[in-house]
Amino acid sequence: MTTAPTTDPTAPTTATGDSFWRRRTGLLVPAVLLGAGVTLAVGTLTMEVPSTATAPGPQLFPAIAAIVCTVLAVALAMDVLRHPEPADTGTGSDPADVPTRPRADRRGLAEAVGVVVLFIAALQPVGWLLSGALLFWGMARALGSRRPVFDVFLALVVSSTVQLAFSAGLGLTLPPGLLAGVLG
Amino acid sequence: MNALTQLGDGFVTVLTPMNMLWVVVGALLGTAVGVLPGLGSAMAVALLLPVTFSLDPIGAFIMFAGVLFGGLFGDSISGILMNTPGNSTAIAGSIEGHAMARSGRAAQALAASAIASFVGGIIAAVLVVFFAPSLAALATVFGPAEYLALAVFAFVAISAVVTDSIVRGLSALALGLAVAVVGIDGISGAARLTGGLPELFDGIDIIVITVGLLALTEVFHQAARRGIPDDHSILRAPGRPWLSRAEFRAALPAWLRGTATGLPFGIIPVGGSEVPTFLAYGTERRLDARRSNPMFGRGAIQGVAGPEAAGNATAGTAMGALLALGLPTSATAAILLAAFRQYGLQPGPLLFERAPDLVWALLASFFVGLVVLLTLNLPFAPLWAKLLRVPKHYLYAGITVFAMLGVFATSAKILDLVLVLLIGLLGFAMRRYGIPVAPMLIAVILGPLAETELRRALAVSEGDPVALVDSPVAASLYGLLLLVVLAVVVRTVRSRSRGRGALAGTGR
Repeated sequence: MTTAPTTDPTAPTTATGDSFWRRRTGLLVPAVLLGAGVTLAVGTLTMEVPSTATAPGPQLFPAIAAIVCTVLAVALAMDVLRHPEPADTGTGSDPADVPTRPRADRRGLAEAVGVVVLFIAALQPVGWLLSGALLFWGMARALGSRRPVFDVFLALVVSSTVQLAFSAGLGLTLPPGLLAGVLG
Repeated sequence: MNALTQLGDGFVTVLTPMNMLWVVVGALLGTAVGVLPGLGSAMAVALLLPVTFSLDPIGAFIMFAGVLFGGLFGDSISGILMNTPGNSTAIAGSIEGHAMARSGRAAQALAASAIASFVGGIIAAVLVVFFAPSLAALATVFGPAEYLALAVFAFVAISAVVTDSIVRGLSALALGLAVAVVGIDGISGAARLTGGLPELFDGIDIIVITVGLLALTEVFHQAARRGIPDDHSILRAPGRPWLSRAEFRAALPAWLRGTATGLPFGIIPVGGSEVPTFLAYGTERRLDARRSNPMFGRGAIQGVAGPEAAGNATAGTAMGALLALGLPTSATAAILLAAFRQYGLQPGPLLFERAPDLVWALLASFFVGLVVLLTLNLPFAPLWAKLLRVPKHYLYAGITVFAMLGVFATSAKILDLVLVLLIGLLGFAMRRYGIPVAPMLIAVILGPLAETELRRALAVSEGDPVALVDSPVAASLYGLLLLVVLAVVVRTVRSRSRGRGALAGTGR
């Protein structure tokens, strides 16, 4: 298994510079909020308002949303800074009373995201049958399946069942891609 | 009596072989999705939407009714047998349910839960049949200011209620409002925050947001937990799947009390069944403490019966609020609202006049669906749990495939797939850092409504903001909201000081 914790469990939990940020990765969410607030503000200011618009116009609500986003980004950031997460990551097997930070398998997550990205890129050029199978196969693998060859068959069964059900059963079309001529 | 004859017509529509098939299919799918941890009826309906395009609207909505209640029947099964509730609505009922299962009474816990879901759902459905038309009549006196007050109430109440920290709840709400702005403004025609992309002119579809926030978030969560062994084993449920007379007598008042707790919450927009289920749990627990032989903690049947009945009662009256007022009070109701719009129907006071055959068939299908679900769940609940034996990686790989398929089939836009991925990642980050997703969903759904009503009210009053609080209905809604927020603040301050005392006690 390649899922050993990346942090050394015996490491001291004093507030070194490294662990200061590691315990406050939650600042990501206020950063997203701030980004949303700024985007809304810029979008509101640069909006092309049709001359026919009557007051209160289309800019009122985005302006309110922008202010709400920005104010909450600050409030949430303060909340995260004041209440950092515990420095220890849980080992998963031992739910002791010590509060722990949820441990995340970054590799598993990255694989899962990568598979979805690949699927989106492949859907139009390659077609549903193969890219759908790739999605199933890759996801099963990212989630810990250890039978790659069997999974290939299973994935093809899943994606072709969907293709059949959709095109034959419901009359909806899915991108044929490479196999356009073969499937007719 | 008018309601009864129309309901009768509804039954005639539902009890045809084809529509009965849709009820059963919906019930099966809903229960299956409900059993799976992390997925509920909202997800199931969102994924089914594209599939139902080729059905007639009546068939589709009959199926959705089966899915809606099926999810609520299913989510307690995994909670009782594995202590992993299938959905947040089943958490309260699973506490005592799992305790019962551990002491060898799993079958009785499942039976109590299934009957509770049935009782809560049926009573709610009866009330909806008789009161939805008058609720719809009442709704016609609602003007823009009142609807805005309802939406604001929903926004703040759900942000305050679903989490310990109101800042976190409101943060999720703000993200939802930001997403709701994207697209062409319906009133003036101005393009807002589309970045010039024509694909975004229609805004971000609610299906994209639901599937991203609920399904992909769950899949990413599972991927990030890879390698952590699950310590949940499925308990067996041997013995009789029915209740003894003593158990029935113990559970009956709890079913009714739970139903009574759950009913009002379908109309109050606080985002679904979490609050009423926990309220019902608390009531049963307090009543139990007075008994000579308290059973709570050791598997009290009332602890299953109360919350489960409350959950289904809320889901039932939430459908009433959606049909009569056009007001979605839960995520599932919101997806159904999207479904109505896909068929060109607008829930609300006029729906009963414009599409009476659909409305009454839908209401009749509640009764039929609940009976079907009771017969599916009472004897076969342990069989459903076998679904959880499918290896997790195949289960969630399949869910990913259906999620992406569902989104692409609705719009055929690659950009929507990219958005689903981004929203899924956002949902994962929110979950990781303890931000609830329910307020974001409600904001996306009610945001456009809030904006339209705000602008209408201000246009009528020529910009005078006093008009927003000038009516008695709006003013009392804001007053009620103030009370809710105060109650939450008091609760937070209290639990914080108590938490500090406990920490000091352990010497940390």
